[in-house]
Amino acid sequence: MIKVLFFGPVASRTGIHQATVAFRSGIRLQDVRDELAAQYPRAFEIVCFAAANGEHVRDMLLPLADNSEVAFMAKFSGG
Amino acid sequence: MNPAVRIQLEDFSMDEEVSAIKTSSMRMGGIATFLGCARDFSEGREVSEISFEAYGSMALSELIRLRSDAIEKFGLLDARIVHRIGTVKGGDNIVLIVAGAEHRAPALEACRWMIDELKQRVPIWKKEITPQGESWVTSHP
Repeated sequence: MIKVLFFGPVASRTGIHQATVAFRSGIRLQDVRDELAAQYPRAFEIVCFAAANGEHVRDMLLPLADNSEVAFMAKFSGG
Repeated sequence: MNPAVRIQLEDFSMDEEVSAIKTSSMRMGGIATFLGCARDFSEGREVSEISFEAYGSMALSELIRLRSDAIEKFGLLDARIVHRIGTVKGGDNIVLIVAGAEHRAPALEACRWMIDELKQRVPIWKKEITPQGESWVTSHP
């Protein structure tokens, strides 16, 4: 199972803070994004960043291990 | 002493953070600070409250990395970063950055660099609550 986290403006649009995607061998970050973007298109309009296991990821072809935690995030506005 | 990097609900004391960094080295000749505060007016609207949400574990690890990067990049003797989450009102403290170096130039430059980097890479989001409703802030001037 892949755990997916949403925060702030993205969570406001999904209506949830957490989702899961079934793990399958060879699954990549882009696959998870595609699956969730189909379910929450308005939320993914504002997604700018992705993270896997708490680290920024720029390569959406990153393969994911089972029990990975990923996040799709809007532009940050801290400070 | 509190950890040098923290994300917390409660307010912080600038005096305590400056005192803490001063104890780390007697070679420190310059200490620069940046204190970010909540404004009660933004984009032409009155702002009643500001609410912060963070991807807690990632935000903390990014802040710790940011501090280490600044120490290395500017040759700092020490640095401290405290960011609040939860809800604050106009005038309340939001974020404090303290940079200590042998001389003023690297301390000042590092302070500016850290707040700019924080806004770019640390997963924290700000929501402004106004009498007309609430909205997430997506820009960071």
